[in-house]
Amino acid sequence: MAEEKINLQPDSFEPLAQTNEQELDSEKIAAPSLTFSQDAWRRLKKNKGAVISLFIILIMVIVSFGSTPFITHSELVKSNPEYANLPAKIPGIDINGFNGKMKVGGEWTDVYKQNGIKDNVHFVLGTDYLGHSLAQRIIYGTKISLTVAIVATLFDLLIGVTYGIVSGWKGGRTDNVMQRIIEIISSIPNLIIVVLMLIVFRPGMTSIILALAISEWTTMARMIRAETLSLKTEEYVLASRTLGQSTGKIAWKHLVPNVSSIIIIQTMYTIPSAIFFEAFLSFIGIGISAPQTSLGVLLNDGQKNFQFLPYQMWYPAIILVILMIAFNLLGDGLRDAFDPRTRR
Amino acid sequence: MKKYLLKRILYMALTLFLVATITFFLMKLMPGTPYSNQEKMTPQQIKIMNQQYGLDKPVWLQYIFYIGGMLHGDMGTSFQFSNQPVSYLISSRIGASAQLGVQAMIFGVFFGIIVGSVAAVYRNTWVDTTATIVSIIGKSVPNFVLAVLLQYYISLKLGWFPIADWGGFEYTILPTIALGVGPLAETARFIRTGMVDVLNSDYIELARAKGLNKFGIIYHHALRNSLIPLVTLIGPYTVALMTGSMVIENIFSIPGIGEQYVKSIQTNDYPTIMGVTMLFCFGLVLIILFTDIIYGIIDPRIRLNGNED
Amino acid sequence: MKLKKFATAGAVMAVSALTLAACGSKSSSDAQSKQVLHWTESSELPSMDLSKATDVVSFDTLNNTMEGLYRLGKDAKIEPGLAKETHVSDDGLTYTFDLRKSKWSNGDDVTAKDFVYSWQRTVDPATSSQYAYLFDGVKNAEAVMNGKMKPSALGVKADGDYKLVVTLDKKLPYFKLLMGFPSFFPQNQKVVEKSGNKYGTTSKDMVYNGPFKLTKWTGSNLSWVAQKNNNYWDKKNVKLDSISFKVNKSNSTSYNLYKTNKLDAASLSSEQAKQLKNDKEFLTRKNASTFYFQYNQTKKEFQNKKIRQALSMAINREQLVNKVLGDGSSVSKGLVSKGLAKNHGKDFADEAYVKSGVEYNKAEAKKLWAEGMKEIGQTHLDINLLSDDSDKAKDTTEFIQSSIESTLGKSVTVHAQNVPFKTRLTRSEQGNFDMVISAWGADFADPISFLDLFTSNNSQNDGEWKNAEYDKLIQASKTTDAGNTDKRWDDLVKAEKILATEQGISPLYQQSTAWMVKSKVKGIIYNSAGVNYNFKNTYIKE
Repeated sequence: MAEEKINLQPDSFEPLAQTNEQELDSEKIAAPSLTFSQDAWRRLKKNKGAVISLFIILIMVIVSFGSTPFITHSELVKSNPEYANLPAKIPGIDINGFNGKMKVGGEWTDVYKQNGIKDNVHFVLGTDYLGHSLAQRIIYGTKISLTVAIVATLFDLLIGVTYGIVSGWKGGRTDNVMQRIIEIISSIPNLIIVVLMLIVFRPGMTSIILALAISEWTTMARMIRAETLSLKTEEYVLASRTLGQSTGKIAWKHLVPNVSSIIIIQTMYTIPSAIFFEAFLSFIGIGISAPQTSLGVLLNDGQKNFQFLPYQMWYPAIILVILMIAFNLLGDGLRDAFDPRTRR
Repeated sequence: MKKYLLKRILYMALTLFLVATITFFLMKLMPGTPYSNQEKMTPQQIKIMNQQYGLDKPVWLQYIFYIGGMLHGDMGTSFQFSNQPVSYLISSRIGASAQLGVQAMIFGVFFGIIVGSVAAVYRNTWVDTTATIVSIIGKSVPNFVLAVLLQYYISLKLGWFPIADWGGFEYTILPTIALGVGPLAETARFIRTGMVDVLNSDYIELARAKGLNKFGIIYHHALRNSLIPLVTLIGPYTVALMTGSMVIENIFSIPGIGEQYVKSIQTNDYPTIMGVTMLFCFGLVLIILFTDIIYGIIDPRIRLNGNED
Repeated sequence: MKLKKFATAGAVMAVSALTLAACGSKSSSDAQSKQVLHWTESSELPSMDLSKATDVVSFDTLNNTMEGLYRLGKDAKIEPGLAKETHVSDDGLTYTFDLRKSKWSNGDDVTAKDFVYSWQRTVDPATSSQYAYLFDGVKNAEAVMNGKMKPSALGVKADGDYKLVVTLDKKLPYFKLLMGFPSFFPQNQKVVEKSGNKYGTTSKDMVYNGPFKLTKWTGSNLSWVAQKNNNYWDKKNVKLDSISFKVNKSNSTSYNLYKTNKLDAASLSSEQAKQLKNDKEFLTRKNASTFYFQYNQTKKEFQNKKIRQALSMAINREQLVNKVLGDGSSVSKGLVSKGLAKNHGKDFADEAYVKSGVEYNKAEAKKLWAEGMKEIGQTHLDINLLSDDSDKAKDTTEFIQSSIESTLGKSVTVHAQNVPFKTRLTRSEQGNFDMVISAWGADFADPISFLDLFTSNNSQNDGEWKNAEYDKLIQASKTTDAGNTDKRWDDLVKAEKILATEQGISPLYQQSTAWMVKSKVKGIIYNSAGVNYNFKNTYIKE
């Protein structure tokens, strides 16, 4: 194929008219300058899934923690066995499954009527075996599950980040010893750590949190260490070192901000796995104890009665799944926002 | 290589020793005696029995005896199952757990690769989003919930598979699925991330430019490269599946080790607790060592020497 | 046309497949007419060594595969076992049993020596039997157990091959009942010694003389089969060909299996029981075990009788058993379970009933609480309520916590502590509790099995309640009044009344377990105390 002949006229080589001095400033960046976090936030906002997830998480946090003044100890302790095991009944809605009717032996039966319960009694999500409102239990359970997860993750962060930075920064023999310790700890199956911890301490929220923190921090420490190792050789770190900056300050000013993305992303993944693990502990009977409850406990109770009272498992399961999806999507979103290379 | 191996084996031994020590002393902090009928026994009888089981000796002496026994391969006798050596208890029940763990892993990895690859190829489309959400659901439904659902709908309502029990292969299908969905989700996620990276690299561009079709590229180039990091995930995950399968064992009435482990903890069956803990730990360190070696073989970029990780 | 033919052929094939399938199901119903019972257990079979067995599954299996002097029939009625005739001496301290000729499953003769060997083996401290305490009362048993005498000094002798002579230290009014418990069954010395450490660890390392013999048990597996024993002396009355046992730890699973006819019985959880209570195959089995509160009476607040009474009256036991447990458990009338023992046709539990001991009375509870709190000079109490961590125990503590707090108001806070069974025992023993929910199951059908617990120095009296009058009555029932049934009965009734009025403990409920059992299964014998199941006369009628 022959090349097209370009027809050039002499006036193509004329300089442009200088209309505005500033326009020619080639060094000028047109867009407003953004800090790293502003940039990340901008990218995050573009990710619909992540934004929705963020909202869902916020709503769940607000509702569950906002319920604290309403769902008090005495409210939790109160039981009404005469209202036990009622299905959902929402005023004004007449769809089977939400109108107080439940399939009993293959037939839709009005359980409220059967038990002689007054017409004005409504339980939006039904009740459990002691006549507690399931909706109230789920809200409270979400709060406990979130608390366990968040606090455990914070511990995880504190230990993991410090350990990782120290190990990576010091290097040499210290690093070697610290890495061996991690190796040993991660050679012990998680479950064994948790079970042994719970044997020694009293079962309950504190020991679950501690157990989770102890068994989960190694991943974080490893990642932070790897990142620190590479950051250590960066010019700006070297520069501030040469300038005589103290180690602590370097760690705080340079290292922590640079590993913050890893921290946030890792946190987003640790929270759901902590919720999950707590549910598992409840199944084997070493979870949260009454009158407190958690999503795991609710699921485990529901699971046992699934043949007859399926709603007792479905509702907490749905909430748990939504929460987990939200955290995971937000985690993905944050990862992409902080590290744009991964999103293509 | 030899030096590296030696060093690793030394660390393994050290790890196992430390775990044995920690477990032993923690276990001794557990309240209660191992006798199941303790409430009806007189203090005198308990004393005589403690003497027989060596529980009257100071803890450090018991510890030395225990470690000594372990070195000779003697893990003691179970309290719960009278006269049953712990080694027999473990060997008779590890089979089912191991089979389930491995099957679940194969199931998870196989379908995980498929889901992950499809998501990566059609990335940022609805296919990708669906795959992501499905795998998150898989990861976020506790396996006991899944097991109950499978048992109720697939076995009881549809009658496709046996409800519970342990017999032939058909008995393992539902437990495998219940257990394998977690690794499936994890693998899918891993593969997707890895593959997106690979698909954007220059040599894939080249392959594409050469006119290879989409799935040819995936099979010949992308998959292989994104599989490498998966190797590190599989080993430890399999051990975790075996330890964590007690829930599934309970629901599907499977004679596995996980359930036995929890029970031995609840009944203070010291020798069994120790035996199973050590077994799991041994499995994990061994698998970590193997994966590191395999990793070195399939990915020549990683050198096996003791100084760098 | 051709196509149509093809379709017909297909249909024919489908039909024949259906018939085949029908045949298949027919042959399985043939297997049913072969008299097979499909039973479920909730945990493994840990041991078949009757000297070392400690749990329900082991004892039940032993009861069906071994034979002792007697076999307990319906309502704990003593039915003939190996003892053909029994002579009791006038002082009630010597029992002579004439044994019938019978064989072990390996063809050996079952002789009086097998009994002697078995008993001596159990009490020998070297065997470390946890049930040796049952021999207390047999001559020298205690001395042997404590290592002060040789096992051969035990008061049991073989007089020839078929005569067994037992001498007692003191009168045991329930001695014959005990003989129906597996710890008193014979053991074949040859087999025990040949198997050594493996004795009773698999179905092969065992020998049987009962209605069934065990097969396919490897010591740790989840299924085993009891097959009819053709060497059993009374085999003509054994109708089942075999019993297949499967362990299912999850109640949902066993119920699902039951619904698909894979199991003939399923034990139910509380919630399942509540849903199924109107089913015609639903039944509840009473256990001779009572759940009760113990108060830590080393603490000032619980030494106060009014406080104890108030706490007891705050609990609506009716609601607890019907709405929370729902498994057929019933409100206790007192410590001794109902249906355990009768005298002149009157049940002990009815005789010893004290209304205020177990009633629910909100107003009275509040009043007593206020008075009690005033007496001890406190305005608020924090109570640690200790209990097990089983599902039912958790439900119970949650309900009790709620009842106490809502009845007695803000002046009390209950902290529920659900811990594993063994931890609960240890903490009870150490007195590390305020209130504990304890349970006691009778080993044999006599009130003393319960009432012995709360004498001042009994190791089970964790709350350390002390009452001199009570101790005196229990002592009298064992010594001066031991030979006089009526007087002994009165002593025990009086004792329990004292316990109830004083609220030394507060009985809560008598446990039951809810079951679904296929209606075609007939003749299962269930006893609330000691060994529960006897399948000797069970059969299946379609």
